[in-house]
Amino acid sequence: MHVSLAGITKRYGAILANDDVDLDLVPGEVVALLGENGAGKSTLMKILFGFQQADAGEIRIDGRPVVIDSPRAAAALGIGMVFQQFSLVPALTVRENLALGHRCTPWWIGRGARSFAAPVAHLRDIAPEIEPDLPVSRLAVGEMQLVELAKVLNLDAGVVILDEPTSVLTPAESERLWEQVRRIAAGGAAVVLITHKLEDVFACAQRVAVMRRGRMVATLDTSSVTPDALVRLIVGAETVTTAQPVERTADALPRAWIKNLSATTAAGAIAGVDLRIAAGEILGIAGVSGNGQQTLADAVAGLAILLAGEVIVDGETLQAPRAEMPAQSAVAYLPEQPLRNAVAPDLSVAVNLMLKRIRDLPWRSHPSQFDADARERITAFDIRPTDPRATAASLSGGNLQKLVAARELAGAPALIVACYPTMGLDLGAAAAVYEALFAHARRGAAVLWISEDLDDLLRYAHRIAVLHRGRIAGIADTAQATRRQLGAWMVGHSIDVAAEPAHA
Amino acid sequence: MRDLMLSGPGRVVGTTLAVLMLTGAFFLAIGRDPVELMGLIVRSAAGDGYAITESLVRATPILLCALATALPARLGLITVGAEGQLYFGALLGTGFVLANLGATSAAPYMAMIVVAMLAGAAWALLPAVLRSHLGVNETISTLLVNYVAALLVTWVVYGPWKSAANLGWPATADFPEAFKPSTFFDSRVHSGLWIAIGLAVLLHWTFVRTRWGLTLDVLRSNPRAGIAAGLNWRRNVLLTMALGGMLAGLAGILETASIQGRLQANLSAGAGLSGFLVAWLARNHCLRIIPMSLLVGALLASGDGLQMFANVPSSIALVVQGLLFVAVLLVGGYANRLQVRRG
Ligand SMILES: Nc1ncnc2c1ncn2[C@@H]1O[C@H](COP(=O)(O)OP(=O)(O)OP(=O)(O)O)[C@@H](O)[C@H]1O
Ligand SMILES: [Mg+2]
Repeated sequence: MHVSLAGITKRYGAILANDDVDLDLVPGEVVALLGENGAGKSTLMKILFGFQQADAGEIRIDGRPVVIDSPRAAAALGIGMVFQQFSLVPALTVRENLALGHRCTPWWIGRGARSFAAPVAHLRDIAPEIEPDLPVSRLAVGEMQLVELAKVLNLDAGVVILDEPTSVLTPAESERLWEQVRRIAAGGAAVVLITHKLEDVFACAQRVAVMRRGRMVATLDTSSVTPDALVRLIVGAETVTTAQPVERTADALPRAWIKNLSATTAAGAIAGVDLRIAAGEILGIAGVSGNGQQTLADAVAGLAILLAGEVIVDGETLQAPRAEMPAQSAVAYLPEQPLRNAVAPDLSVAVNLMLKRIRDLPWRSHPSQFDADARERITAFDIRPTDPRATAASLSGGNLQKLVAARELAGAPALIVACYPTMGLDLGAAAAVYEALFAHARRGAAVLWISEDLDDLLRYAHRIAVLHRGRIAGIADTAQATRRQLGAWMVGHSIDVAAEPAHA
Repeated sequence: MRDLMLSGPGRVVGTTLAVLMLTGAFFLAIGRDPVELMGLIVRSAAGDGYAITESLVRATPILLCALATALPARLGLITVGAEGQLYFGALLGTGFVLANLGATSAAPYMAMIVVAMLAGAAWALLPAVLRSHLGVNETISTLLVNYVAALLVTWVVYGPWKSAANLGWPATADFPEAFKPSTFFDSRVHSGLWIAIGLAVLLHWTFVRTRWGLTLDVLRSNPRAGIAAGLNWRRNVLLTMALGGMLAGLAGILETASIQGRLQANLSAGAGLSGFLVAWLARNHCLRIIPMSLLVGALLASGDGLQMFANVPSSIALVVQGLLFVAVLLVGGYANRLQVRRG
């Protein structure tokens, strides 16, 4: 089916999120929808999905104007969407999540719906290693993205919208996703792929549509454009600088010691993780998501109860769980899924920016007094909109990520735990967050950096450790690390190519 | 129309119309003249000085119980325990009075208040600890312990504390004068009303102007983020529930000491439940709670007048209270739908 959006306009208060946007979706074609954070990509697609109503403009299907006033109406028309923020029910299993809203599911589906096979068929194709009877709360972000994708595939939709589906996928997972996307398109569906990764575009999109500040600035064939030209289209007149790697300081003093750590959380378990990070060192943690990354991060940040081991920073053992941390804490934490883990969605940007300082405030405090401080941080990290009173929930996905970075990278933490710190960020914003993170390393902070992006890890980390099933499968100096070695560790092989001492 | 429905005054007007229509339909259904009955409700609630003071009397415990509900609600907790806390406060407060029957000075009076408030807090702490440390749903547990508290009071007034002077009526001995709060002029309106209004204003100020209010906002909005920022969710669960319990306990002892003059069963007359509904009507906004409790108090107070002059059961007032909430639900639900559509 041929869908065309014409003159779509959507205003939120002073912000024109979509300004007279036109877009055509043709059966069998993948359109990559690109643009900076806050450009209006998600808004446009939420309007097509009936999740939000346009102020002006028209949606036509095969030439006929249609009214899409709810996601249900969209589904009835054969439109399916994966949201940027997950919409799975954490307490239910993967299978139950897929069965909810699946057309073969009878109304009496219970909690023990083991027998439903049809809803998980697509999941088996795209991610055979995900256990369908595991509760979704135990999945890693990458796995959740794949489950979300399976949910949409189940709809057999004529239009499939994917809002940043690859933001935390490993290269191998991305590849499987591209294959699926190509397959859906080959089956005659129109696909919209919102992304910040240019690989995605060239791997599976026939056409690119670029938005900037609410307007559609270009739509062109992928074959007619180079990556550089595309970047210029996305950022407009601005220049994008990439972050500079941090020089490794020789004989740096040890700063943080994650000593023989074991912990279990809802997200998984780690056992006997032992890592030492020197001052100014960036230690990357690679691995397929779901191998204990989140538990490791939570445990080091003091949010998980430790079964064994301790975290020592500057010679002092940190208490765990640290419900009562000193407010200007020694540890900064950028968790995954900021909306769920790190921001108070219905409070203002200003309040969210000073969340960690609340305990130091005088008794008489009013949120308006943080505005000045907040403005500074908002400018430094280019958070849009710039209004400190805007609620966090109204920010675009990338801007939420910037908000958390702006808060956690303030002050002078001794240890920084960063999980996918550039998830969902456009090129410029990703560079800015890396710069801010690396500035702390240059200052002498220890950085524990969890990432799925091997390219970035190899480029910026000083050492890379690989987590597999909650244990460190191997650790290597980046200079000596090879993709083959890291890849082997990720799947649990312990061939030792680059022998190196366990501790720096 | 849409914009009107979304504005604050629009909602108030919409709700008023809805409640008038629902009540009118109900009165027609029971075969009465709606205009006549509604007029009578207004006259019985606020027709003369006596009616007004009786409405205020009725509103006082409702106001306190609404605040007792709004406090934990700042943390996102939905408690229906004010009723039980009110009973337990009255129970232990009365116990203190019975142990000090000979007192004449003001000191034991204050002590009685303190005992009742601590009792209310203790009663709230039981479900609070279950919630904060074991994750037991606070709505269910507060509901269950309500029955226990009410039954405890019934038991003591039929059993151990029953006074022979009451000629078989299940109640304790009358409170001595020293334990009765001062009243205004000739009415039964007591200082509790002003205390309750003062507390509402104080709480409102605390919620919007202090560090603690901000802490509660963060923990309500996202407990995970709050805990990660070093805020103590558990302690605040205990604190808000205990403070709420204190207010409900205060309501219980004031009602017992000043209105009834002795402890008897059914002393709350549904104040805990009405308080919950008021808090919810006012969306836990402490200043809005004040007029809402006065309104509901007046409505319930009109029940007696209805029974006397219109020959309908006084419980008609309860039905109208129910319809009021149905109207709010309807209008609120409709407005929310409009809101969601516009994004
Ligand atoms: N519910 C809302 N209320 C107010 N403003 C909103 C709301 N939703 C989005 N916005 C604003 O509209 C603009 C566009 O947001 P949108 O989510 O479409 O961006 P995006 O292109 O998807 O960005 P990202 O790459 O960061 O996900 C942003 O400035 C955002 O702050
Ligand atoms: Mg988006």
